[in-house]
Amino acid sequence: MNDLENLTRRELLKMSGLSIAGITFLAACGAQSGVTASPNIASAGTVPPTTALGEVVVSDTVLLRTAASLEYSAIDAYTTMLDGGLLTGDFASLKDAIKRFRDDHNGHADAINTLVVSYGGKAHKCANTRVNNIYVDPALKLITADGNADAARDAVTLAHALENLATQTYQGIVALLAEPSLRGSAMRVGQDEARHAVVLAQVLNPGYMAIGPSTDEVTGKAKVASVPSAFGSLSSIQISLGAPNSEGAKTSLSLETPSLNGLVYDEISC
Amino acid sequence: MTTNTSSAAPPKMPTNADKQLLDFALSAELSVHELYVKAIDSGMLSPDEKMMMELFSEHHKSYAQSLNGLLGKAATNTRNESLYATYAGQLTSVQAMNRVLQSVENTMVATHTDILSSLQGLDGATLVASIITVEARHAAVFGTLPSSNLSSALNSAASSLAPNAAPAAATTEKKVSP
Repeated sequence: MNDLENLTRRELLKMSGLSIAGITFLAACGAQSGVTASPNIASAGTVPPTTALGEVVVSDTVLLRTAASLEYSAIDAYTTMLDGGLLTGDFASLKDAIKRFRDDHNGHADAINTLVVSYGGKAHKCANTRVNNIYVDPALKLITADGNADAARDAVTLAHALENLATQTYQGIVALLAEPSLRGSAMRVGQDEARHAVVLAQVLNPGYMAIGPSTDEVTGKAKVASVPSAFGSLSSIQISLGAPNSEGAKTSLSLETPSLNGLVYDEISC
Repeated sequence: MTTNTSSAAPPKMPTNADKQLLDFALSAELSVHELYVKAIDSGMLSPDEKMMMELFSEHHKSYAQSLNGLLGKAATNTRNESLYATYAGQLTSVQAMNRVLQSVENTMVATHTDILSSLQGLDGATLVASIITVEARHAAVFGTLPSSNLSSALNSAASSLAPNAAPAAATTEKKVSP
């Protein structure tokens, strides 16, 4: 039996009374010191100020501007891979394909921005800040870190993930776009991203056995598949990148399509 | 935050006009499924090729079943004879099967994209969108196997078969040659 269980009811009441007195005393000290009263007295440290999302509208142009921003995220990532010399060894032959993909994304961005403008919006010609901050930049940092012997393969893994993310984004906004003709336009681009993903999937895991879903017998993880499911998935995209830790595991990242805090609202500019 | 105010909220279920387009999509999917079955039953495919085509065949069957589920009594559940007849006679060799079935997949992508541009109901739109991405993947696989050809994987000049479907909103997108 431990000491706490030996406490009598009277002793417990005494302790709680002392605690209340102590908190009141400390609060009074804070008031004397000019500390602003806070509803979070019981919390440790200070709560950083938060900025609530203002009154914004998720319009068709916002959805399309978000799609355009993802195109620029992909363009920037591919430029980093090409200019940074990340595609080496067995993956060096992929440079022409990556250049083609980048050109395609430029074409997609122009096409989407043309639609944005024709529907009364303002073209968005830069990357998605949130997607870059939480996915692309950390991934590139892991890939280019010292000691990563798999940088080239990891770069292709990131490219594959970004193509799948773009595919999912276009598929996902179909459910949100109000104008039917824009849904078709979105998927005209989205199906292109899916083709890119297949080419990269066949580089990462080539052959007929890699077309459908399969599992790595050693790790138990899903292998890269060219056609991972019968219907286009909207679930998160899991990738592992960077130098392995002491247990041989790479850092895992989970990519998801832009949500409300990742959309490019009308007020956002480059 | 408010949701999309670009126009009136779209309906969830297919409209009567949607049902006609979705039924066309269903009949086309049945035809494509049967084209794959014809290729599989030809006895000309290697085990790897057969496995791939069985996978794709099952996908198309799933699309037909899903469209049937969405349409309910409005589904006619008959294959598109014109589509089937156009391609069935061309499945004469393994090379021809790869080429023809890739062309069929590209045609289905174009057809569904066209249909999607006209659908009012969101249930039909989201289902068709989820089919488009995978049929594009099927087409791209034919461009990467048995040998890799980037142009074949990425480019498509296929035309839509959809009747009375509105085209997607015009874009200035240009295909870039590799």
